[in-house]
Amino acid sequence: MIKLQGLTRKFNGLVAVDGLTFEVGEGEIFGLLGPNGAGKTTTVRMLCCLIKPTGGKAFVGGYEVGKDALRVREIVGLLPEAPGLYGELSAYRNLEFYAKLYGVPKRRREENIERFLKMLGLWGRRDDPVATFSRGMQQKLAIVRAMVHEPKVLFLDEPTAALAPESAKTVRDFILELKQERRTIFLCTHNLHEAERLCDRVAITNSKLIAIGSPSELEQKFGPSRTEIRLERVSRKIVDAVRRLKHVKGVEVVGDKLMVEVEDPEAANPVIVEAVVKHGGRVRYVARAVHALEETYLRLVRESEA
Amino acid sequence: MRPDRVWEIARKDMASVRRHKYVLYGLIGIPLIFAIFIPMASIYPVVTSEEPLDNKLPPFAQPGMAPKQAVVTGLANMAVLMFMFLPAAIPSTIASYTFVGEKVNRQLEPLLATPTTDLELLIGKGLGAFVPAMAATFASFAGLVAIVDVLTFPLFGYLLLPNLISAVVLLVYAPLVCLLSVSWSIFISSKVSDVRAAMQLGIVGIAPVLLFYFLFMGGIVSLEWMTLVAFGLVLASASAGLFALSKATFQREEILTKWR
Repeated sequence: MIKLQGLTRKFNGLVAVDGLTFEVGEGEIFGLLGPNGAGKTTTVRMLCCLIKPTGGKAFVGGYEVGKDALRVREIVGLLPEAPGLYGELSAYRNLEFYAKLYGVPKRRREENIERFLKMLGLWGRRDDPVATFSRGMQQKLAIVRAMVHEPKVLFLDEPTAALAPESAKTVRDFILELKQERRTIFLCTHNLHEAERLCDRVAITNSKLIAIGSPSELEQKFGPSRTEIRLERVSRKIVDAVRRLKHVKGVEVVGDKLMVEVEDPEAANPVIVEAVVKHGGRVRYVARAVHALEETYLRLVRESEA
Repeated sequence: MRPDRVWEIARKDMASVRRHKYVLYGLIGIPLIFAIFIPMASIYPVVTSEEPLDNKLPPFAQPGMAPKQAVVTGLANMAVLMFMFLPAAIPSTIASYTFVGEKVNRQLEPLLATPTTDLELLIGKGLGAFVPAMAATFASFAGLVAIVDVLTFPLFGYLLLPNLISAVVLLVYAPLVCLLSVSWSIFISSKVSDVRAAMQLGIVGIAPVLLFYFLFMGGIVSLEWMTLVAFGLVLASASAGLFALSKATFQREEILTKWR
């Protein structure tokens, strides 16, 4: 559905996006991760035909970015960083305006507006001026705006930024529902938990492409594998015993938990648990350490900047 | 060019403008002043005064008439010429809100992501400033005509306005001045990030109108056909030039990467 071939954008000699090459399949949720200034927004703007590439090519839905700009813009929806709604107009009027610009017929327009506003819990406020909405409600309305013409590809730039946890969950659930409808979703985010939960694949960029794959693939390939073992009580004897095991690369104690860095968790975990029990430890649970993608991401970005 | 999309953009801007009370006050207040205050302050005192002396006639007095009629006709023509200020001033206020305001509030990016061409966006947003300005100008002019005719009918025995000059001003000059002002405001919008600054700079758009007005008032030019045609050509060229400039300025790439 989306294809980038050496996509490049320079601004006065400064390379914002440097030769990105990857593909995103239909119905996939794809995350673009990278630090501030990594060129994520520039990439999205190029793919939405808002600015032109200075090098390479890109295709969205089979249409070439730049050459078939109107066609591309017809099949994509964009949620930019700022909601950019018209505060003085009602929620309904905002959506109606955009639906008309996308050429959505009247009946379909009314159905879509009602359906999406109901999905995000805003139908009851449809006639209120948007200026009276909270930041979270505005963000949700901006997502509906991006969806009002039922685009094949949806570009979401930080969709849950500045949202309260319950609103963020509503938005994430909404994104997952869109995936069921086989829509392709291109997500720019700093929220790595979100990327891990939502995305089928992610690309880590810092102007250039650093790594691409599913979150678990990236974690396996690049990230430290960490096992979290919660004990009734952590003792010095147990820590020393675990540290001596040959599969173990490092041990950290966090409260009543042992955070054990291992190369091959499947081989190492039974041996670690056995050693803990042998040295008097009572295991409450064993789990893969969370934030694995975060650690992978930070490591890759640091390496790219070094 | 798809007229339905262009009109939708203009309609949205006009609806937004209606909800900005300061813009709305300007849209109603300034035309009211033009329609009522100007004739009452300039024509009424002359109509109700003694007959002016031949050798004390002001330079704008219409030649070939009785002194009082000459002065009143000159004042009526001046009032008509002043109607070029309305389509010059109003669009700069509206466009400051709809261009700079939307830029500051980051409302342009989602709009630019829609499948509309740069020209459709430009014309739609331009119309959003043009239509209310011209509507206010015509409504205000109707008020002026009514007041001037009520004041001057006893003196002339016929309706002084509308006359040929007013037709030229309203139907040719006013739209051109309005286009010039809108184009200038769009250009300004790409350079400033403050609505008030845009409004102040937008007022520069009335400079050619001001110049023509003072030339007439000082008796340096008279309202003959040659003068009217020459000024019309100047306005048309300036409008076309500024529209081309605003078209070059109002492009997605420029707006997102260069507009400050």
